[in-house]
Amino acid sequence: MPRPQMPHDTPTPFVQTRTGKLLGRHWALFFLLGMMAIFAFTGPGFFEVVNFQNIIHLATISILLAVAETFVIITGGIDLSVGFVMGLSSTLAARIMVTLGSTGMGEPMLIVLGTLAGLLVAFIPGFISGTLVARFKVPPFIATLGMWGICNGITLHLCDGFLPIAGLPSVLPRLGNGYLFYIHKGQSFTLFKKPDYIPDERVRELIRLVPFSFILIAAVVLVFWYILHKSKFGQHTYAIGGNIDAAIRAGIDVDRHLVKIYMLSAFLAGLAGVFNVFQTGIGNYTTFSSMYELFAVAAVVIGGASLLGGKGRIVGSMVGVLVLAVLKNGLAISGVQPFVRYIAVGVLLTLAVIIDQLFPDLF
Amino acid sequence: MNTLVAQRKRNTLGTIGRNWVLVFLVLEFGYFAILTRGFASLNIVQMILFYGTEVFLLATAELFVIITGGIDLSVGYVLGFATVISSKLMVVFASRGLSPLGAIVTSILITLCVGLIPGFVNGVLVAKLRVPPFIATFSMLGVCQGVSELLMQGIPAKNLPPLAGTIGNGHFLYIVPGSGISFMQRPDVARGVRVIEIIPNAVVFALVFIAIFAFILTKTRFGQHIYAIGGNIDAASRAGIDVKKHIIGVYMISSFFASLAGIIYVMKYITGKADAGAASLLDAIAAVVIGGASMFGGSGTVWRTILGCLVIATLETGLRMRGTPTFDKYILVGVILIFTVVIERFFPDFKR
Repeated sequence: MPRPQMPHDTPTPFVQTRTGKLLGRHWALFFLLGMMAIFAFTGPGFFEVVNFQNIIHLATISILLAVAETFVIITGGIDLSVGFVMGLSSTLAARIMVTLGSTGMGEPMLIVLGTLAGLLVAFIPGFISGTLVARFKVPPFIATLGMWGICNGITLHLCDGFLPIAGLPSVLPRLGNGYLFYIHKGQSFTLFKKPDYIPDERVRELIRLVPFSFILIAAVVLVFWYILHKSKFGQHTYAIGGNIDAAIRAGIDVDRHLVKIYMLSAFLAGLAGVFNVFQTGIGNYTTFSSMYELFAVAAVVIGGASLLGGKGRIVGSMVGVLVLAVLKNGLAISGVQPFVRYIAVGVLLTLAVIIDQLFPDLF
Repeated sequence: MNTLVAQRKRNTLGTIGRNWVLVFLVLEFGYFAILTRGFASLNIVQMILFYGTEVFLLATAELFVIITGGIDLSVGYVLGFATVISSKLMVVFASRGLSPLGAIVTSILITLCVGLIPGFVNGVLVAKLRVPPFIATFSMLGVCQGVSELLMQGIPAKNLPPLAGTIGNGHFLYIVPGSGISFMQRPDVARGVRVIEIIPNAVVFALVFIAIFAFILTKTRFGQHIYAIGGNIDAASRAGIDVKKHIIGVYMISSFFASLAGIIYVMKYITGKADAGAASLLDAIAAVVIGGASMFGGSGTVWRTILGCLVIATLETGLRMRGTPTFDKYILVGVILIFTVVIERFFPDFKR
């Protein structure tokens, strides 16, 4: 007697097979590897340690902002202000260094004070957006869009209109762009500083490894990975994003937690701003067309988070940032017009979400 | 008796609460009018309208999407895309020997058709593929930016037919006191004779379209369905509304308005560039929210959105005339934005 056709008798769709699930879960990583393989052929000098080092060094700010955005997005919110909080920290730190510098204060003290000011000021917008979201129930989109405008205005005040703040201690860019190891092939090996006998013009003869920015990235990623995945704070973050009512019933102080999340996000944006001062040696305001916040959200979504909340991983967001950074670098090295990148990012982002929809039960 | 007085009192308060944007706008205008000489004049009011035209259109675009509970981040760059396409086309057509008017009209029509494409793609992504609007429209932002930069190759369009500027910067009605009026065309008068110009063409053009779509939103079944979808999407689809079709339609309306804004930009500034609307996105969303729409969908009207736009436009012009740095505008818009939402949290019954 023929068995009646049952639904589960149909062949398992690809997305539910083991390979399918593996591909679906880590598609961004596979995509990254595939892209690197292609660029290795099309871009001369792409597949070199120095280039990879560059990609990550230049992506430092994006990585910090993506970590910030990961926390907020897991709670089901969004932080549109990160880019401009970053600009605020950057200009305030620079302004303080310049002002104190004119009073004749020593450089180390100046840098410490400027850095501290840049980091601390970021808590203010974070606290305000957090309070608005948690206590006044303002939608995160609006609260952080408001902070976006306010921070932008204050930043532009700090830099007198549209003038980046210059005249900072010259040691800053050397710190921000310094390396741990300097190797002069067959001749010398130094730590932290280039050997004195090589002038600045010939610095390219050296092999420079492990930029200081790696140490910052590693520290931030490790600390926040621990916070998100191993601590109670992280557990509560996922709980709030998964089901806010259940989280309240479970006794989590949701309001307080949300304020902390937005402060954490703004702090990381402030860190990115201060790092920006160290990297460029000037205090930069954030331009409208830079769209840091949108690219950070894009990276987090490519890394597998959902804008509805409850989903997302730090490592995933890192992969997301790297996908965007490698795409930018690889296209540039392959000689493709820079505008194509915008199109590519757009297509990729939509693809990420569609793939995510295909594998609903994965994360 | 007492209850009647109380009721009347509450009604007055309620009316003010419901229309607080209007009250705020009047106070704001009054503030600038008192502090700045020559602010309360026909010219300044027309200037506010003239420079605000693109934001009126972008905010109307955004309103339709926000009523359905979505968001359209791409409007600014769809505007840029439209400016690039229409300016390029005008130059090409004019150089091929078409009459200036013919070239302008043809390129406007083509741009309006092409401008529907980003909206259609957004709509399909949101409605059929269930991509969150934030992501779908941000992707479209990137695509529009990339395509228009590719078309432009770093050089803003030049050599547009001068007629475009004449139309874009012209006025609807000219009055020469004591001798007559003329429509659309600046009368030939001697230098020094006062000509009163009434309503810039760009504003007339924009308001006609905004009025048509305000009618569609409030008086037609399509409009009612949009509110229904924003209010409760499940209920709407159970009630037999073709939700997907409506959402695609809404995103197409949005990008239609954005391209309209792009065309007006070209006619006003006689150039086209990819990032023409980059800074207007905040203004457009802020205007809709200040106008009382909810980001969760289901509420918002065109009339109040325009009031929201006027609040921002008056602020910008007022600050500029007072000589304060224009970036103070961003701070104030941010504050007003947050303030609006907080007010509405505290007085929920003020909403319609």
